[in-house]
Amino acid sequence: MDVGSIYLIVAFGLLLLSAFRDIEKTKKALKVTGRVALTVLPVLFMIFILMGVIEAFVSKEVIAQWLGSGSSVLSIVIGEIVGCVALIQPAAVFPFAGFLHKSGANYGVIVGFVMTAILIGITTLPLEMKLFGKRFTIVRNILTFVIVFIIGIIFKVVPL
Amino acid sequence: MGVISIFSPAKGLIVGRVAYDAFAKALKIIIAVFIIIGLIQVWVSPQTLSRILGKEAGWKGLLLASTVPVFIGGSLFTIFPLLKTLREKGASIAATIAFITAWSGKAPLLPLEIAFLGWKFAILRISIIIPFAIVMGLLSEFILERWKPRKEVTE
Repeated sequence: MDVGSIYLIVAFGLLLLSAFRDIEKTKKALKVTGRVALTVLPVLFMIFILMGVIEAFVSKEVIAQWLGSGSSVLSIVIGEIVGCVALIQPAAVFPFAGFLHKSGANYGVIVGFVMTAILIGITTLPLEMKLFGKRFTIVRNILTFVIVFIIGIIFKVVPL
Repeated sequence: MGVISIFSPAKGLIVGRVAYDAFAKALKIIIAVFIIIGLIQVWVSPQTLSRILGKEAGWKGLLLASTVPVFIGGSLFTIFPLLKTLREKGASIAATIAFITAWSGKAPLLPLEIAFLGWKFAILRISIIIPFAIVMGLLSEFILERWKPRKEVTE
């Protein structure tokens, strides 16, 4: 049974519990669920398709070439930028990072890429701004970039 | 996807199947999270949440927000709506941002991480993330509280 199914079972279990305790509240809860779903799902769907298309066309070798050769501190920044822009499925981040490592990238570049790939993305910005506002989005993303750079330096220096 | 199929039927099929598998898997989690958001909206009172993750929770709340999310899976797209709800219910900015940062630890993907990057990398990354999540939370809150919009508008 995959993670998704487990989450779903838990969610429905809680829903049933809620229904037993107060059916009116539960109905309200489902209305909220519907509203959120209607707002987020269309955007999500588009993005998944876009990701699939990009994945089919952008050569992984090209990306690895850019990131693999650098051993300077600057390459960490480049790794981060690529991570921000990379339209990659969350589960594909680690296999791809492994591929980068094999291609010669040092761990600083790799962790920079991994962290920004997970935390920052041009596809998530619109949603983040919509939900939390411009200032929040700007502060979080810039700070994350800086912090990840520091983490990148740590990874470059510490012998792994 | 249809366009790709015209150029290369084989690739089109692969894109379709990959996207479908990923979407189906994500869809389950997405639905689960949306249901939970609905339940939170209705059952969790602002008082309770503020006590756990709000400013009144102090360092304990921040610590919670910097460690527990490491074990939650999902993508940013599911985390953001969830956090928006928590934020509305009284979670502090520090807790919210620490949460997102800690979540990047992605413990459910640990087997993948270890397989491709080694256990030393994985352990180091997750160990560093937790204190950094705390720092991110505090720093972000510090900045955002001082960077107010010029016109007097409440958010």
